[in-house]
Amino acid sequence: MRRLPAQAVVGGVLVGLVVVAGLLGPLLVPHDPYTQIDGANLLGPSAAHPLGTDELNRDILARLLTGIRVDLLTSFVAVPLGALLGCAVGALATVNAALDVAVQRVFDVLLAFPQLILAIGLAAVIGPGATSVVLVVVLVEIPVFGRLLRAAVLRVREAQFVTASEVAGGGRGWVLRTHVLPNCRGPVLVQLALSMSVAVFIEGAMSVLGIGVTPPNPSLGSLLATSLRYLDLNPLFAVGPLVVIAALVLGFGLLARGAGNPALEAA
Amino acid sequence: MTDSVLTVDGLTVDFGPTPAVRGVGFRIDPGEVVALVGESGSGKSVTARAVLGLLPGTATVRGSARLGERELIGAPEPTLRQVRGREVSMVFQDPATALNPVFTIGRQLRTTLRAHRRLTRAQADAEAVRLLDLVGIPDPAARTRHYPHQLSGGQRQRVVIAIALANDPRLIIADEPTTALDVTVQAEILALLRDLRDRLGTAILLITHNMGVVAELADRVVVLRDGLVEEDAPVHRLFSAPARPYTRLLLDSVPRLGHRPPATPVTTDTDALRLTDLVVTYPGGRGRPDFRAVDGVTLRVGRGEVVGLVGESGSGKSTIGRVAAGLLRPTSGSARLLDEPLEELSRRDLRAARARLGFAFQDPGSSLDPLLTVAECIAEPLRIHGVDGATHRIPELLDAVRLPATHATRKPTELSGGQRQRVGLARALALHPDLLVADEPTSALDVSVQAAILELLADLQRDLGFACLFISHDLAVVDSLAHRVIVLRAGKVEEEGPHDEVLRNPRADYTRRLVAAVPAPAPPLTAASTH
Repeated sequence: MRRLPAQAVVGGVLVGLVVVAGLLGPLLVPHDPYTQIDGANLLGPSAAHPLGTDELNRDILARLLTGIRVDLLTSFVAVPLGALLGCAVGALATVNAALDVAVQRVFDVLLAFPQLILAIGLAAVIGPGATSVVLVVVLVEIPVFGRLLRAAVLRVREAQFVTASEVAGGGRGWVLRTHVLPNCRGPVLVQLALSMSVAVFIEGAMSVLGIGVTPPNPSLGSLLATSLRYLDLNPLFAVGPLVVIAALVLGFGLLARGAGNPALEAA
Repeated sequence: MTDSVLTVDGLTVDFGPTPAVRGVGFRIDPGEVVALVGESGSGKSVTARAVLGLLPGTATVRGSARLGERELIGAPEPTLRQVRGREVSMVFQDPATALNPVFTIGRQLRTTLRAHRRLTRAQADAEAVRLLDLVGIPDPAARTRHYPHQLSGGQRQRVVIAIALANDPRLIIADEPTTALDVTVQAEILALLRDLRDRLGTAILLITHNMGVVAELADRVVVLRDGLVEEDAPVHRLFSAPARPYTRLLLDSVPRLGHRPPATPVTTDTDALRLTDLVVTYPGGRGRPDFRAVDGVTLRVGRGEVVGLVGESGSGKSTIGRVAAGLLRPTSGSARLLDEPLEELSRRDLRAARARLGFAFQDPGSSLDPLLTVAECIAEPLRIHGVDGATHRIPELLDAVRLPATHATRKPTELSGGQRQRVGLARALALHPDLLVADEPTSALDVSVQAAILELLADLQRDLGFACLFISHDLAVVDSLAHRVIVLRAGKVEEEGPHDEVLRNPRADYTRRLVAAVPAPAPPLTAASTH
């Protein structure tokens, strides 16, 4: 095993910290994220409430830690799902020229819409909520990964070791499994990490617009959106979600750069 | 002591902790052709680039390189810019990439001329025509309006040389100037360089790996090995009495035409491969006729026979190899691999038929999957065809190609070019094929490595008795291996016969030109003494 690039290590630690906080944090904090506490309206930070309380008398730390889970859902479930579907469609498209044209035009249409327009449209159809956030992320990622894998497959397929495998008698399936797909791994890994940071951004943006997670459920984006109204009363309200979002996006970004590092490629 | 054009002294180049050149020194006198010879990684190109300050920023250069009286190492960039193109110019390996495809050659010559001299446009145009005429381009005035793609490879290299001559440089650095060219074109370019040196007295620093080119052109030879000067001698002495064992090894490795005794012809009635009236066409561009890459070729490879397929680029030799491997369907005619008509087989039957066929590629680096280990690469044909005990055969196969069994777990990127080609051969021979198609298997290798691979191939062929279609542009390489030789030209068979007949007493005019064009690895004056 080779040494991992430092960027990937730092990125992994950042993402790891947020994941642990989201999974274990809510169990460790004494307050319930949904329970209103008497007389605790927009309190500043204190020993009992390290990040203070919100406009509906709830503990912000508890809501923040619970809110991370929505973003973990989009990053670690929605993005891989979109990637899987996209890669499958992209790989399939390379088999048949007519199918390829059809798939590429569908991708064109999907990519023509800015992510948020797509999100607003989808929320209008199925209503706001965590489900529509996940659906939007999946939908956004399918053409991204489809295009990427298609390009990678077309590139690798021309490599001489693929011809070598064909001359040895390897069929299409064999060549795809043993040579083409493994050699496409690099760019897909990089895109995966990049897309995960984009997913955090999409969730945040949808919640700020009010088409994301529905109250009373917390998410990083909805917490940030609410906190902006009370910056003067409790500045730390906004700092919590900001720090977590920054850590996630930066962490995924560093992972992507680390994954694109040739040192990992060769390992 | 005459004033030398270039004096290199104690030149050392490091890339990080790895030294590329270690204390190299030599001098070039006016009108002298000095050849810098060595295998890949010996530091010959790095030396030349260091002189012109063309190395990337990661390189640390120490030592001295004086052009006349002027020190070039460590000179400021404006000084170097003055020197480049004006006093020292360069001829690159690949004329296709050295010229800018979007400008006419006249414009490219003009730009070079006016970069260093005050000339009006008309003067520059006239000068461009004169230069093109000098390098032997017919109808130079009309040619100035042509784009690089409208010229042949040889003409492009002439244009590159014309650009190099534009400002009457004192020194031309020619980095593998003929490596990308066909052998007949190479002969023309070498004649041109010789002629220019005689007429203009320009000194030439020739960088090459080809001992034949050295013998044809150089006055003095500097042999480099691992960044050190191994030997520095006049060309005649180097070839007749090399002082160092490495130089001797290098000279002995060069395949020579007509040095192998006639092979006993293989007499067998069964064919491993039979091509009948083979035609392969590639669709032409809009409004253009189709290109006939192979135009009615009939040939056979008997079982256990090695047939050399020789031709220059565009002769259709590789296309024939691809048809023989079932990678390409012929437009018409038939290709029978051990009596199975390849063009009629279904996908499934074709895959099965390939168990009896091995293919050796030109570039051993790109023909091995970088993610697999050596063992996995070699085992692939066995696994595809469901042969039992694939893992047990790996040591045996590695041994057959003379690689240590410990290499099984390595990745192809951790091997040298020659070792990779051995892995490629082990993979091609894993299923004990009846026919091996080898498409230029040694042309990407250094000459000493090439010699070892050719010897290995000959041994394996003798032991295993497979038939072989050996494709190469190098007549000497084919001569060292083949029982029979087929000469191709523009998709047609030009001549065919036993190797000693075709290559020693060619009947066809084209073959005669081809054989004559091969630069002999012996300088002209002492040609007799090396036999």
